[in-house]
Amino acid sequence: MSKIGNIPVNAQNGKKRTNPLAGVFDELVQFCQSRSMFMLHYCTGCGAIELPPAMTSRFDMERLGIQPMVTPRQADILLITGYVSVKTLKRVILTYEQMQSPKYVIGICSCTVNGGMYWQSYATAKVLNEYLPVDVYIAGCMPRPEAVIEGLRRLMGNIENGKGIAWKDYFQRYDHYLGNQQHLFGNDWQTPTDIIGEARHYGLETEQTCGEHSRILEQHQQPLEPYKMRIKL
Amino acid sequence: MKCDEINAWLDALLSEINEIEVTRKSERRVRVDVPASSLPALLELLKGKASYVHLSAISCVDWPGDEEFELVYHCWSYEAKSLLSAHTRIPRNSAEEFAHYVSVYDIYKPAAFFERDIYEMFGVYFESSPYMEKFILTEWNGPPPMRKDFDAEAYVNDTFNWADYHPQWLQDIEEEGGGIAIRPEDIRL
Repeated sequence: MSKIGNIPVNAQNGKKRTNPLAGVFDELVQFCQSRSMFMLHYCTGCGAIELPPAMTSRFDMERLGIQPMVTPRQADILLITGYVSVKTLKRVILTYEQMQSPKYVIGICSCTVNGGMYWQSYATAKVLNEYLPVDVYIAGCMPRPEAVIEGLRRLMGNIENGKGIAWKDYFQRYDHYLGNQQHLFGNDWQTPTDIIGEARHYGLETEQTCGEHSRILEQHQQPLEPYKMRIKL
Repeated sequence: MKCDEINAWLDALLSEINEIEVTRKSERRVRVDVPASSLPALLELLKGKASYVHLSAISCVDWPGDEEFELVYHCWSYEAKSLLSAHTRIPRNSAEEFAHYVSVYDIYKPAAFFERDIYEMFGVYFESSPYMEKFILTEWNGPPPMRKDFDAEAYVNDTFNWADYHPQWLQDIEEEGGGIAIRPEDIRL
């Protein structure tokens, strides 16, 4: 296995292939995208209690085309339903980076906006969009299922109008987000996902993707090794 | 054995220990104040002779004015159906890094859990407790946060930024007729 090198993902023939019909289909694709979304079951705080009624028969999120999904790799929406402690924030970022683009983050409850009632707590991250690009905030403590549905409809509208592009911001301004993450987690913070490589691959790299914080990341980065498979007999 | 019989017997038993102060608050609630040196002996007696087999919790109170930590051991008896709280005070050692006390893991096994928690939150080190690694605050490198001299508000202001009071997304919602229903200045308290 070790003789096989890296499989080239991107054929580097100097030309950038573009689809001439992309602009024509964009609106149709956005329309379809906004009406078929999978929401990750990842609930951080107390706001999660409003989701079962929003999902089930009374308010029925499925009529909007939104379904819960169990793995981040197959989900579009990451709902942050309440306060995010520093410990949870690490897991939230790991989860977010595993999701496939396009991906959307919705911050529910006042705690994700500004710390909410945990504003004085040493263990709780305050402003969620310092660490992740947030598409829609739904304020309230806690917001009723009507408000949750309203927020999801706003997200659908944003996607349909081509405004739901906060996920691109994570690639374009990765250094900013990484700097805030390092401020909380220390300089040896790293995730298994190579965001800068992905940004290059998607053609989303700007001058703000790399910077002083990603240089700190490079200094401390441990190369990832495949998990050794052991079979016990 | 009846409940009041156990209670009478317990009062007689407790009067045997030196420097002990027993306050019977009600039929099923006893407060015992005991010096730190004789607390393990008291717990040993309570568990072995007086049916207090369940240690429900150890709580810690910080008294920075007295330079002391107060440890409260809550013991429950299923037979007498009564709760006994044993209070003891240990020096706070604010000059050194940690206050020290002895573990009661050998008497009550669940104590390991509570002692690890108190070590993390208050920095009281329990000698001979089996496992004193980080427990809940695995990402925390600062001082023990539940001590009274840790200023959480100052720490938060140093560490975190605050969101704008009237951010763009809220202005967008307000343009569509939504937003804050009752403004803070209109709230009558």
